[in-house]
Amino acid sequence: MIEYFVAKRREPYETLAGKLILATSIMLFSGSLLIGFIFFKFNEDILMKNLRRHGRSEADLVSRAIHYGMLTAQYEAMQHTLEVLATSEDILDIQVLSPRGVTVFASDPETQGRTVKMSQPMAESIMGREPPPETITTKEGEKLLRFLLPIRNEPACFTAACHVHSERERVLGVLQTDFRTTAIELTRQQMFRGTLVFGAVAVLSASLMLILIFYRFVTRPVAELELGMKRLATGDLDTPINIKSRDEMGLLAETFNTMAQDIKRYRENMEDWTRSLQEEVDKKTAEIVNAHEQIINAEKLASLGRMAAGVAHELNSPLTGILTFTHLLKDRTPPDRKQDIEDLDLIIEQSERCTKIIKGMLGFARKGVSESMETDVNELLDATVEMVKNQIKFHNVQIWMEFVEDIPRLTIDPNQFQQVFLNLLTNAADAMDDRGSISIATRVVGEDPERYIEIEVTDTGPGIYPNNLDKIFEPFFTTKPVGQGTGLGLPVSYGIIKKHGGDMTVKSKVGEGTSFFVRLPLKKEGEETG
Amino acid sequence: MEPGKNILVIDDEEIVRISCTRTLGPEGYSIDTAEHCVEGLYKLKQKRYDLVLTDFKMPHIDGLELAAHIVAKYPETKIILFTGYSTEGTALRAVQQGIYHYMEKPFTPEALISVVKKALAG
Ligand SMILES: Nc1ncnc2c1ncn2[C@@H]1O[C@H](COP(=O)(O)OP(=O)(O)OP(=O)(O)O)[C@@H](O)[C@H]1O
Ligand SMILES: [Mg+2]
Repeated sequence: MIEYFVAKRREPYETLAGKLILATSIMLFSGSLLIGFIFFKFNEDILMKNLRRHGRSEADLVSRAIHYGMLTAQYEAMQHTLEVLATSEDILDIQVLSPRGVTVFASDPETQGRTVKMSQPMAESIMGREPPPETITTKEGEKLLRFLLPIRNEPACFTAACHVHSERERVLGVLQTDFRTTAIELTRQQMFRGTLVFGAVAVLSASLMLILIFYRFVTRPVAELELGMKRLATGDLDTPINIKSRDEMGLLAETFNTMAQDIKRYRENMEDWTRSLQEEVDKKTAEIVNAHEQIINAEKLASLGRMAAGVAHELNSPLTGILTFTHLLKDRTPPDRKQDIEDLDLIIEQSERCTKIIKGMLGFARKGVSESMETDVNELLDATVEMVKNQIKFHNVQIWMEFVEDIPRLTIDPNQFQQVFLNLLTNAADAMDDRGSISIATRVVGEDPERYIEIEVTDTGPGIYPNNLDKIFEPFFTTKPVGQGTGLGLPVSYGIIKKHGGDMTVKSKVGEGTSFFVRLPLKKEGEETG
Repeated sequence: MEPGKNILVIDDEEIVRISCTRTLGPEGYSIDTAEHCVEGLYKLKQKRYDLVLTDFKMPHIDGLELAAHIVAKYPETKIILFTGYSTEGTALRAVQQGIYHYMEKPFTPEALISVVKKALAG
């Protein structure tokens, strides 16, 4: 993880600053060279001009200095003058040449008598014209500026006492003065060195400045940005990039921070969404599992129901036979044979119990079939109570009824609901050991549009233990002795009520009694029945 | 006692047929039995019956179909259907429409006698 926070080492030329500095250096260096060159060229021209002018006047001076010597033919003095003049730093060599190119006098006596090579400027000067100064490189590589001044004939010459020259000669000789150009050369070198130094200094200082500027305004913010991005890559969205400047870097950092915040928000949204999705999935999964269990249960019950129905049907006929023949036998038994009659009654009673069990199983199997009609629940309860009153079981049971007046009619299957109420009453009587009181009440509860008819059956029995409360609606759950209860009464009833869109709840207090509440929805106003 | 009335019991269970004969015989009715619909229909052709007792559920032909056939062909013959369960929809509706009487199985002799009497009286 830590390597994200260490900027990767780069070669200097790879960095932005390196590239910029290199480019600037090259530019600065070549720029200063160019400027130096131009400056030097300009300067050289001036120097050259100066040298020419200076050389010309000096050459003139030389010619004038030796003028008198020549006129007076004082050759020694002339030679001396030449030598003295040539000691000047600027002058390398002075020669007086004959029109034929023979050195007549020279500041360097050794060259006296030599013949110089004829050249174009020389020819011109012999003709009496003054050629422009000529640049010459010596054998030693020294650059010279050579002035050729024609020595013209004049009356003073041919009238001179020496009578060396006749009047007819136009040009008597040529004065050749060689000037050193060392000064220019020196300046050139100095300038070149100066330019180099200047360039180097400029490049160095510019680079330093650039490095500083770059470090302050680019490298540091970029490193900061880079670090920020790496933090982002590792998932840290909370640490913003700290660049406060108002330039593009600052803007970039700000944009980056905003982006990080956006990403963070999106990620949070996404996480929220994922979480709620997960919850939704879990919920739905639980629902599906539940529904699946219910389906399996229903399937189990259905096949159980089919089997029960088959068995029940098979049992009905033999039971009819048992009942018929027991009755016939009992009718034939003389009244004084009390024990026989009691025994036969027992057979009849037990057969009727069998009948009841079979009816229960059939009821369970036939939950699906229903014949609904508009029913007055009060009347149905009345009829049911009337039915049970005659049973021995209820002889010691008091039944109280408190019915709501003008009860709205319900579209239900009266036969199925008679079975429901019958089971509730029988359960109550069973629980109270056939003695006690049962109160039955009807009422209309709830507000439009969700109004219900509630039927309450309360007994004064022993109540139901809390851990049995969830089980009483399960098929085949019974606390009654084997053979007496099938445990189908409540589940069948519950199924019937649910099918009618209603619900059944139970409230019980051990030692005080039990209340069953059956709620059946009333059809909304204007809604068609059936 | 309404002697001389002819009753036909159609049921695939012998014990039911015997039960009916033994219960209703002493009441003065003349009882014939049939094991299945075909035999029942054959007997109906031979003799005029005042009452037919038949099971709601029988092999081959549904008791209800048989009843419908009898109602159509012998309008003066009354019918009692044996059912296993009182909420057996169609049968119940038929009874509610007043066409048939019905008898829940298993039944006691008194119950059978009272229903037969009611059917023959109505
Ligand atoms: N009013 C009540 N007071 C106390 N316990 C009750 C009451 N009603 C039902 N129970 C309990 O609920 C159990 C299940 O009742 P349910 O009607 O489903 O079956 P059952 O009465 O045992 O058998 P069946 O109704 O099939 O003959 C009963 O065995 C009993 O323990
Ligand atoms: Mg019960």
